[in-house]
Amino acid sequence: MQISGIFTLVVAALLLINFVQLKKYEPLESQTLNTLVAQLEEDPRNEQLKEEIRDFDMMVRKAYFTSTWQVRTGALLMLIGGVLFAGSLKVYTDLRRRIGVPDTAKEDFLKARMTAWKWLLATGILVLGMAFFAAFSSTNYLENYYPEAIAGTGPSTMDETIEVIEIVDPADTSASGALAGAIQDTATGEPGQDTGADDSAQAGDGQTTAAQQAVPVEKIHGLAEFKKHHNSFRGPMALGVSYHKNIPTSWDGGAGTNVAWKVAISKPGYNSPVIWGDKLFLAGADEEARIVSCYDRHSGQLLWEKKADNIPGSPSTMPKVTDDTGLSAPTAVVDGYRVYAIFATGDVIAFDFEGNRVWARNLGVPQNHYGHSSSLLVWNGKVIVQYDTGKSGRMLALDTKTGASVWDISRDNHISWASPILVDYAGKIQVVTNTDPTVGGYDVETGEEIWKVDVMMGEVGPSCAYADGLVYANNEYASLVAINPEPGAAVQWESYDYLSEAASPVAYNGLLYLATSYGVLVCYDAKAGEQVWEMDFGTTLYSSPMVVDGKLYIMGNDGVMHIVKADRSGTLIGEPVLGEPSYAIPAFAGGKIYIRGSESLYCIGE
Amino acid sequence: MIRKNYRLGFLVLMVFAFLALNAQQRFPKPEFESGYEQPNTTTPEPRTAGMEVFDVIVLFGVMALATWLILKKRSRRGVLWLSVFTLLYFGFYRNGCICPIGSIQNVTLALFDPGYKISITVLLFFLLPLVFALFYGRTFCAAACPLGAIQDLVVIRPISVSSWVRKTLSFIPHIYIGLAILFAATGTDFIICRYDPFVGIFRTDGPYLMIGLGIAFLVLGMFFARPYCRVFCPYSVLLGFMSHFSKKHITITPSECINCKLCANSCPFDAIEAPIDEKVRTESTVRKNLRNYVIFGLLVPVWIFAGGFAVSKAHVFLSKAHPDVYLSELLIAQPELREDTENLDIQAFLESGKSMDQLVEEASVIRSKFRTGGWYLGGYLGLVLGIMLMNQFVLRKRKDYIPHKRDCFSCGRCMDYCPVGEQSGDRKSGIVKAKQ
Repeated sequence: MQISGIFTLVVAALLLINFVQLKKYEPLESQTLNTLVAQLEEDPRNEQLKEEIRDFDMMVRKAYFTSTWQVRTGALLMLIGGVLFAGSLKVYTDLRRRIGVPDTAKEDFLKARMTAWKWLLATGILVLGMAFFAAFSSTNYLENYYPEAIAGTGPSTMDETIEVIEIVDPADTSASGALAGAIQDTATGEPGQDTGADDSAQAGDGQTTAAQQAVPVEKIHGLAEFKKHHNSFRGPMALGVSYHKNIPTSWDGGAGTNVAWKVAISKPGYNSPVIWGDKLFLAGADEEARIVSCYDRHSGQLLWEKKADNIPGSPSTMPKVTDDTGLSAPTAVVDGYRVYAIFATGDVIAFDFEGNRVWARNLGVPQNHYGHSSSLLVWNGKVIVQYDTGKSGRMLALDTKTGASVWDISRDNHISWASPILVDYAGKIQVVTNTDPTVGGYDVETGEEIWKVDVMMGEVGPSCAYADGLVYANNEYASLVAINPEPGAAVQWESYDYLSEAASPVAYNGLLYLATSYGVLVCYDAKAGEQVWEMDFGTTLYSSPMVVDGKLYIMGNDGVMHIVKADRSGTLIGEPVLGEPSYAIPAFAGGKIYIRGSESLYCIGE
Repeated sequence: MIRKNYRLGFLVLMVFAFLALNAQQRFPKPEFESGYEQPNTTTPEPRTAGMEVFDVIVLFGVMALATWLILKKRSRRGVLWLSVFTLLYFGFYRNGCICPIGSIQNVTLALFDPGYKISITVLLFFLLPLVFALFYGRTFCAAACPLGAIQDLVVIRPISVSSWVRKTLSFIPHIYIGLAILFAATGTDFIICRYDPFVGIFRTDGPYLMIGLGIAFLVLGMFFARPYCRVFCPYSVLLGFMSHFSKKHITITPSECINCKLCANSCPFDAIEAPIDEKVRTESTVRKNLRNYVIFGLLVPVWIFAGGFAVSKAHVFLSKAHPDVYLSELLIAQPELREDTENLDIQAFLESGKSMDQLVEEASVIRSKFRTGGWYLGGYLGLVLGIMLMNQFVLRKRKDYIPHKRDCFSCGRCMDYCPVGEQSGDRKSGIVKAKQ
């Protein structure tokens, strides 16, 4: 009996160990194999790698099937051992059985009954409690079904997933045909130039003319108007250059020196503030909600804060993102009428300046292992979305009024975390993107590819820079290249010495500035590609440099702003401290700097 | 006695050893070096109608024989060997399917889904044990149930469990059968079959977890006899109810009980009711119990309503077990999974041509059924609980040791302990037989 019992126990223990091993040897779950396959995808002609994969695959499968066989054989052995043990135990107990004696230990009948009804009562209450718990802890997803969002059996088209809400401003709700015509007219203006329209109609002062009320027109703002504000990621056209003057160079956020105001931020996010007129916009998100906030940039007063919820097709559970990217990494964009924001869920939403929701749609949850981070751009009535995910390369333009797709292109590139920039070249506005492997330019009006160069690799984070007819792109472990953005584009010069991981380069006044994640700011001659100077700040630099008022501002992750003269001298002007970490890019307007810290939003400048 | 047990143990061992030797790996171990070819997948032929009828005849025969052995022959040994046969035939040969326990679901689905038909053999498998129980007690459990047989054979050192524990645990089968009927009626799942702990052993194949569970039940059954039958078996609810009205139930004594108390601990299932001492039934006790009986009786409607309300509220949770509801909620919550080519359920749905609207509409209908079903299930559980509570205050006169008609499996063990012989002629007193 003892032998069979011990045998059974030993076999059971071995089975348990084997079972754990079996899980480990699951061929499809092998990390090594998956890594090798991923490497092969990057280098499909590597015969040695193929052979290595074959050998490893065979080894893993052998291990798996051997373990399977061992488990099954062991189970049978354990069964036999168990039967033997049971039989032996039966014989043993029969041999030790004593002659039956009359029942002596009698249960107290009434006491047992009393105990029984109490326990039954407790059981009933427990069952009721479990039922209520199940009831209140379950989500009825069927109630969240929006037929227009995911109807049909095929892949859902984007137009089906748009929820459009009428703009509250009555001037905007009439005569859509005339409005469209007006937009068309203004869109034909020279690219890169302001249409010259008076934007008081949307500024909310209410002094619109009778003609405007009859035929409301949304003037399309170009670069000239954008320069007055800070409407997008890295400023106007996302080029890293701001046109504001008298920007402060010294402050102390912790002590409150030269700090106009400071307000706490309600939800986290790595996105940067954007500004239009008196209003400053921020996005934020956590597991509970995704929000867009609007502040009075003069006083720091929170004007409104709206949730991006109930969006058709939006996932009810947040996608997995890493802490260093989060659910709200992309910076919002503003066009003078509305603010547009995108989140890691693939939700794109538009609010007017009063906080009224205009439209919202979900682009499909992006397959992105860190979290979606490409910021939005706006140009000529279109919101530009770079949507390169693990599934496919994609870029689309959405109508600023309705969210409908104006164009939607698939691209043959891998996932990217960089943001698009706008380039005014040869009389045409291009959307220029940096991806693995393509750096390319696309017609902002149609999405058509104008040029591309397959030169980049890896997990691309930095956006491109542009100045004086050259596009600059780089990525860590790849290279820094300068490309002429036209059909037949080619690399004009390249460098490998310094490469950035997250910060985007900026080109200004014949110089190119690049910040590495390990704290080195480098200046190149933009035409020749020769290094002019370098400066080691000894800190981590994820935020992108901005050139403003002849100075270059770059925020370190530790909250120290490094201010350098934007010229060949490489003179350090100052290193004011914010007092808390910061990863965002500062916004500039009206002689002030607006900085998003990890906890608070600061306005610098008295 | 010892030789008998040796023989039994040896037989069971040989059966397992034979099955083990003949058990083939479903997927032979591939030999990558020798040009191994994947075998073609084959689907086993369904059992012929003739063989299905034969199964019914065997079931009827086993129950008839068991009834005769218990009521007429009073042979525990006969019942034991018959249960060994049942284990081999309905268990290992028929792989535990079809069985009357699982047939509850087939019958339920046939009642609620006009498109689902069951054969007469399935219906007979469901009804025959109940009919036998109505007249003769749970003779099906004694020798015709493979699940009972495999547990009965491993009962080695049963321990007695307090009556309040047994009564509390006896509520579980009601929950189980209620859920099984709800799930079957809504076409959700056959949970009795899915969670049958012994079918993996009968088939020497199945998920490790279920085989492990079966082994755990057997190990537990060495000391807490027939745990599945007593704590979980949903069919026991119906059998117990029928058996409650049986006229010719097994008796411990063949004639008049002499209250020798030798049988009191003979039942490994604690299914023998002791006499109620007249001293217990004092006037005040009876009055107090009557008052409580009335109070709890008045509370029965409250229990019914509370149960119905609570379980109907849980309909969202319960309905998630239905594949259509699960799939539709998955696609609503995570629409991006449409692109997941590795999710076979989603791909099958997309290829089916059915629209999302249809799927959600069907899921909503199913969920609505769960809400209605929840009221019935909860109401039933409330009713059962209310009656069980009332029964705790019933004090009937009982002067003999008698098997509890609802809980007794009619295994016949107690008969062996009774020293009273058969009553012959018109002699009124029992004859004490010589016990070996």
